[in-house]
Amino acid sequence: MVYFINDIITGALIGLLYALVAMGFVVIYRASKVFNFAQGELVIIGGFIVWFTTMQLGLSLWLSIPLSLVLAGLVGYAIERIFLTKLIGESVFSMVMVTVGLLILLRGLVLLLFGPAVRPFPIIFPLKPLFLGDMLIPMNLLAGGIITIVAAVGLSWFFNRTRSGLRMTAVAEDHVVASSMGISVKGSIAFAWVLGAILSTIGAMIFLSGKSLTFLASDIGFAALPVALFAGLESIGGLILAGVIIGIAQSLTTNYLDPLIGGSLGSVVPYIIMLAILLVRPTGLFGWRTIERV
Amino acid sequence: MDPSGIFPTSYRADRRVVRTRWQAAALALFVVLMLAAPYLAGGRIIAVLNMMMISAVIAVGLQICTGYAGQINLGQAAFMGVGAYTASILASKTGLTFLLTIPLAGFSAALFGFLFGLTAARIKGFYLALTTIAAQFIFHFAVLNLPSSWMGGSNGITVPPAELFGLRFVGETAQFYMNFAVAAIMVAGAFGIVRSRFGRAFVAVRDDDVAAGIMGINVAATKATAFLIGAFYAGVGGALWAYLIRFVGVDQFTLFHSIFFVAMIIVGGMGSIVGALVGVFVIRFIQEIVATVGPNIADSVSFLGGDIVFAGMNVILGGVIAMFMILEPKGLMHRWNIIKSSYRIWPFPY
Repeated sequence: MVYFINDIITGALIGLLYALVAMGFVVIYRASKVFNFAQGELVIIGGFIVWFTTMQLGLSLWLSIPLSLVLAGLVGYAIERIFLTKLIGESVFSMVMVTVGLLILLRGLVLLLFGPAVRPFPIIFPLKPLFLGDMLIPMNLLAGGIITIVAAVGLSWFFNRTRSGLRMTAVAEDHVVASSMGISVKGSIAFAWVLGAILSTIGAMIFLSGKSLTFLASDIGFAALPVALFAGLESIGGLILAGVIIGIAQSLTTNYLDPLIGGSLGSVVPYIIMLAILLVRPTGLFGWRTIERV
Repeated sequence: MDPSGIFPTSYRADRRVVRTRWQAAALALFVVLMLAAPYLAGGRIIAVLNMMMISAVIAVGLQICTGYAGQINLGQAAFMGVGAYTASILASKTGLTFLLTIPLAGFSAALFGFLFGLTAARIKGFYLALTTIAAQFIFHFAVLNLPSSWMGGSNGITVPPAELFGLRFVGETAQFYMNFAVAAIMVAGAFGIVRSRFGRAFVAVRDDDVAAGIMGINVAATKATAFLIGAFYAGVGGALWAYLIRFVGVDQFTLFHSIFFVAMIIVGGMGSIVGALVGVFVIRFIQEIVATVGPNIADSVSFLGGDIVFAGMNVILGGVIAMFMILEPKGLMHRWNIIKSSYRIWPFPY
């Protein structure tokens, strides 16, 4: 029974990590109506930036973490300037395809710049797990869960309550209408990408803390995809619930069903949930329902 | 666009694929050159042409699904994989002839694609693209985790050579003719599909699905059909691939390969069968150059190792996709059509 509860708690915390990465998707979507397929590559780039500032430059964590976040923000800004500014007002298809192009472009660049070698990632959160009776909870996931909840609450307040957040929401509705109302579409998209890159870097720190860093870690981007869809692409607060549900489902499948069938069903469970949710309720749990007008 | 004053006088003439004598001559020349290619060119070029023809079948399928019907499909490599696995399992376990395994591979891939196309009844736009990504992951999972006696697991399956009346299709030349025959049939079929009732329904759904529904087109069925046809092409291409490589493994059908196919139709031009062929040629040509030049660079810059071809290809393709989307979103065919029509109507502006 203790193990069962422990599995549930660990699953929920992993789900919150997915939610944090998924928050990158949602923030970019909420402020620009672009679905960023390259989110996993942003996580990797964030990871390499953190690795570079701590391991290569030898800075202390107190210095390197803020520096990494600033650098990640710059990368996000650069991507937006080079690729997405020019596509404002173009079809959704163009924008989605550009992020698909970015996905393989960034993957290739990371491989060219850093090679396929495995690198140690700095230990940002204590390696020693937290013991609660017989249960043990990894510190990085626990800290990550708290960060996720704080970030979700903060960002959802920002997007739903503040004036600049609501402006970005208008951009997500329609680029042309928003810009004719005097809202800077460019500024909104730029902000979204900076924020998305920073969130990805935080995700990378939590995910990779004390582990090894290779370009394969970008798979977390696709693992986070079902969470974003389950919550609904417009809802930041909903990510927490969606992440927890998917994380628990995955953890229970991995620990109880996989030994029975002798496979790794756990890695596919999020996608099965995603397909189911797309069929039953395409807008996700808390997404906006769009009404089609002719 | 025809010059002013020249217009078809019958419906038949309007539907014609080969419209002028020059086009007929160019087509005939192309076919003759292709048939003679094994005698004219060296083994390396034939190997590349084989690759191009297989990719052409798959890219044409994707063109119908994405270019004509407007359904973003990032799972074409998974559909291709289903076809490749079907063909290799049938060929290695039951010993069926390739005349049967290739169409059966197409049908099984079509069924798989149709299942994901069915989701189109409820969702549209890039949500649909996400279900095709799920197809990619589920395919990967199924192959790796089902009992390895079924699909070979991570070991893959070795495929026996294609055989007809005791004649074995081994070696690049024999396979070249097999691939050419299949590719020619499939491409001709694609021309037929896109100018049929289905093709017009695809275009209507792509341009505005609400309006298409109002005009009496069953939108959900049309989208699912588009997936079915696109996946059928991918399955046939996958079967050809299995016979060419004689080995299938799950790593040959990843999301990255799907993106390669998307890159082909973007470069060539959306909504044009010839565009898909042009895109296949351009992308495979670039790939060939990277594969030739890459190892030389890898020798001088040693820390990169053997991944440079993959990495370089990713950088170039990603750059090409982004560049085309920003600068030439309608692809090379669009540019060619502009040049062609301004040449035809010269010296008049229209």
